Amino acid sequence: MIMMEEKVVKVHLKVNGKEYELEVPPNERLLDTLRYRLGLTSVKEGCGRGECGTCIVLVNGMPRHSCLTLTATLDGSEVTTLEGLAPEGKIHAIQLAFLETKGVQCGFCTPGFILMAKALLDKNPDPNMEEVKEWLSSTLCRCGSYHYYFAAVKLAAKYIKEGKIYFDEEEVRKKYYMKVVGR
Amino acid sequence: MSKPEYVEIVEKVFDKTKQKKTEEFKYIGKSIIKWDAIDKITGKAWFTADLKKLFQNAVFVYSVRTKYAHAWIMKIDVTDAAKYPGVLKVITANDIPGINDVGYVIPDQPLLAYKKVRYIGDTVALIVAESMENAREAAELVSVEYEPLEVILDPLKIVEWGGLREKEHTLIHEERGSDVVSRYKIRTGDVKKAFEEAAVVVENEYRTPMQEHAYLEPEAALAIPQPDGGVTIYAKTQCPFDTRKAVAQVLGLPFNKVRVIVPPLGGGFGGAEDVGNEIAAKAALAALLTKRPAFLVHTREESIIGHSKRHPMIARYKHAATRDGRLLAVEAEIILDTGAYASLGPFVGWRAIVHSTGPYKVPNAKIDLAVVYTNKVYAGAFRGFGNPQVTFAVERQMDLLAEELGMDPVELRLKNILRNGDRTVHGQLLDHGVGLEEALLKAVEAINWYERRKLYSQQKGTIRRGIGIALMYHGNSIGAEGADFSSATIIIQRDGSIVFRTGLTDMGQGAIQGLVNIIAETLGVPPSYIRVEWPDTASTPDAGPTVASRSTVMGGNATLVAAYKLRQRLNKLAAELLGCDPDNIVINAPDVYCKNDPRLKITWQELVEQSFWKGVPLQEFGYFRAPPAEWDEETGQGAPYMHYTFGAIISDVEVDLETGVVRVREAVTAYDIGRVINRVGAEHHAVGGYIQGMGYALMEDLYYAPDGRVYNTNLSTYHIPTGLDIPEKIKSIWVEAGFRRGPYGAKGLGEPSIVAIAPSIANAVAHALGSKEANKDINRIPLTPDYVYSVIKKHGLLKK
Repeated sequence: MIMMEEKVVKVHLKVNGKEYELEVPPNERLLDTLRYRLGLTSVKEGCGRGECGTCIVLVNGMPRHSCLTLTATLDGSEVTTLEGLAPEGKIHAIQLAFLETKGVQCGFCTPGFILMAKALLDKNPDPNMEEVKEWLSSTLCRCGSYHYYFAAVKLAAKYIKEGKIYFDEEEVRKKYYMKVVGR
Repeated sequence: MSKPEYVEIVEKVFDKTKQKKTEEFKYIGKSIIKWDAIDKITGKAWFTADLKKLFQNAVFVYSVRTKYAHAWIMKIDVTDAAKYPGVLKVITANDIPGINDVGYVIPDQPLLAYKKVRYIGDTVALIVAESMENAREAAELVSVEYEPLEVILDPLKIVEWGGLREKEHTLIHEERGSDVVSRYKIRTGDVKKAFEEAAVVVENEYRTPMQEHAYLEPEAALAIPQPDGGVTIYAKTQCPFDTRKAVAQVLGLPFNKVRVIVPPLGGGFGGAEDVGNEIAAKAALAALLTKRPAFLVHTREESIIGHSKRHPMIARYKHAATRDGRLLAVEAEIILDTGAYASLGPFVGWRAIVHSTGPYKVPNAKIDLAVVYTNKVYAGAFRGFGNPQVTFAVERQMDLLAEELGMDPVELRLKNILRNGDRTVHGQLLDHGVGLEEALLKAVEAINWYERRKLYSQQKGTIRRGIGIALMYHGNSIGAEGADFSSATIIIQRDGSIVFRTGLTDMGQGAIQGLVNIIAETLGVPPSYIRVEWPDTASTPDAGPTVASRSTVMGGNATLVAAYKLRQRLNKLAAELLGCDPDNIVINAPDVYCKNDPRLKITWQELVEQSFWKGVPLQEFGYFRAPPAEWDEETGQGAPYMHYTFGAIISDVEVDLETGVVRVREAVTAYDIGRVINRVGAEHHAVGGYIQGMGYALMEDLYYAPDGRVYNTNLSTYHIPTGLDIPEKIKSIWVEAGFRRGPYGAKGLGEPSIVAIAPSIANAVAHALGSKEANKDINRIPLTPDYVYSVIKKHGLLKK
């Protein structure tokens, strides 16, 4: 057991559009920085090994397992978590699509799925079903909502194509909170 | 004896609405956006571990686990660990103020091991430190002297076939004097004679794996010491009141000084029962001993080695039938491996024996079941609770029998299934609400069973399709396991909004939404008026445990009773105010009016306000208790559950003869759930249960080293289905045969949704292989590629 000296690394991060000057130990995971320093608890820890995808965040637009990423290596990077997917008071088309397709069960995997979908649609605005499945296959859902999530990504692609990207959160709540949406 | 009022209310509502089609309801059976869905898609929902951010001065709790799966503890020395930087306290068994036990059904499981360790997840000490790193590093300095004992992983070292007698072996629970936790039996008819007279007999041995829940949220607890010496704990647990009892016992505190609050659960599936008690007790101990908020969160590895699993089963089954396919008798010996501690094993064993002959008329039966200890991770509750294991065996047996008789598997089942008016193997009369035949026929039709079955039987080539069916029934709620009640509170606020409180938890599948739908329908208010409170032992009523597919039925009945009583009062007041008959009041909030003259109206808010001034209380507590179950220990006769959910599953698979890889291409599930209450939730169960059952059938098992360590302790090696493994289509069909003592006729679906998946897939695999010899070898799950390939190779199926 070697006692590590309290070394810290200075990191400049832009998280959800906000600038942060952080001093973190070199071995601090991005997951812990986001959850415990910045309070961004949409980022979940499911396995700590990059297997389950619940900790996915976007680093410079690309999905990264925040449990396998050291914060100290990200100086100058831009990080997006689910909290920052849409401006304050808005929700993103992908989130709305996940709501409307009714796939959310326990919701622990949902942030990771939504961010994976975001990265996919940024790269490929009109993915076919096979591409959606392939892309989302690295994210696990134990409740078994995969079919719903695939449909959500297709629906989100449609919204985005139609130029509908952000929706007012209050209005969405009014329209959908425990509302009857089908027979 | 007169019927309790709550039973009368439930029956009255059923009788009044039984002719109504589900489409005709306003909220019952509708697709409704779940109460917590918006919080979850925005990432705002708080799970237990997320609350840590609200308590910046929390200390971290880490469990020091044993290095041996079976050993005497000679000495525990924590001196060095206690001196490690950042360490506030090292807790061992000696520090426990109350009783050092968290056994669920029997007191066989110390929270902190002190004399003996029995599996690789046993905790010997807790480190409480300023940071998780400090705690983990200090854990390495706890020095324990062990005297290792023989590690027993094979339940056949505990008992033997031919009566399941206990063998000579190193005792795991020497304090109990036996490693058989419990035994059950069914004795009915004359089995010996039936086998002598039978035209056909099939027999085989079956094995099912130790399935891991693998909910994506690892266990977490946060305990906050209270000024009065009590403690408030936020914890991932399915059963807050059971958790409170366990924690109070460990801490030696009265129940009212221990408060358990349950934030949303990131999945439970039965796994968040025992371990919820354990983590809550550990965090609470640390909080009280350090007088600081204490936070405990498991890594995936700790979760996998440290919480209960699905009981592995080994069983020998023998079925007898007449030449025309009537079941004459079933004889079986079943061994359930409960690992190191009983947990819910005794109840799992009981549920297994109740369901051990499947949803069929069986005139003669002799079944013996033993639940035994080994040094594996302990097994407890998991969606299905003993039924998936026996149903796998029974439904494979039915297919072997069909082959032996030269009958179509559907035809054989149709000859033997339970229908209205039949008696179960326990002698229980099913006088209504048996929708099994309808489910079976609808599933068969939806997937074109006969055509596909014929078509697939003539295949050549190395990729073979197969189609298989399995049926199930599943007793709802806890039956003879214990006091079976539930309760709920509805409080209409002065502005007309509504607070709903129940001690039942929503594990994510939407059980609570079903209750909301019942309130909305009964009161006549939109569900969006209702706010669901987190389960909290200090404010929500004890609703019994959230287990056994009981939320919709038992919680639903309690909720219905409360809503019904409120509705009666509101009707009466509205009638007085509007001048019409109470039965004539229509509430369609915000409108309230007289049916025969809609001009006589008042708004919901006004009605609520008037209630306030006129002294009509707008809070109501609803309670429901199931009729006591009957069970004769010697014969297995009685009425074990008040009713059953029925189902028929058909799976269409593809088997690659060159690799042994099985893929499910398509599936259909048809369940009789009495009445669809919560359509979204019902579909989530049908589809999600299928996928979890498919994992059980094809890929999931816990693998052990001979010394009792688990090989696959993370999701990289414990594989669950991904989005690429699932069938293209899973069709859900609902049969609504009704049940007089369910809310609006509803029955449960939580557990039934996994029960018959694995056998339907295994039966399809056997069909795809198309070999009578190989058929008998599809007798274990998971059907991993290596196993399936070994069967293909053994029977030379590739050359054909």
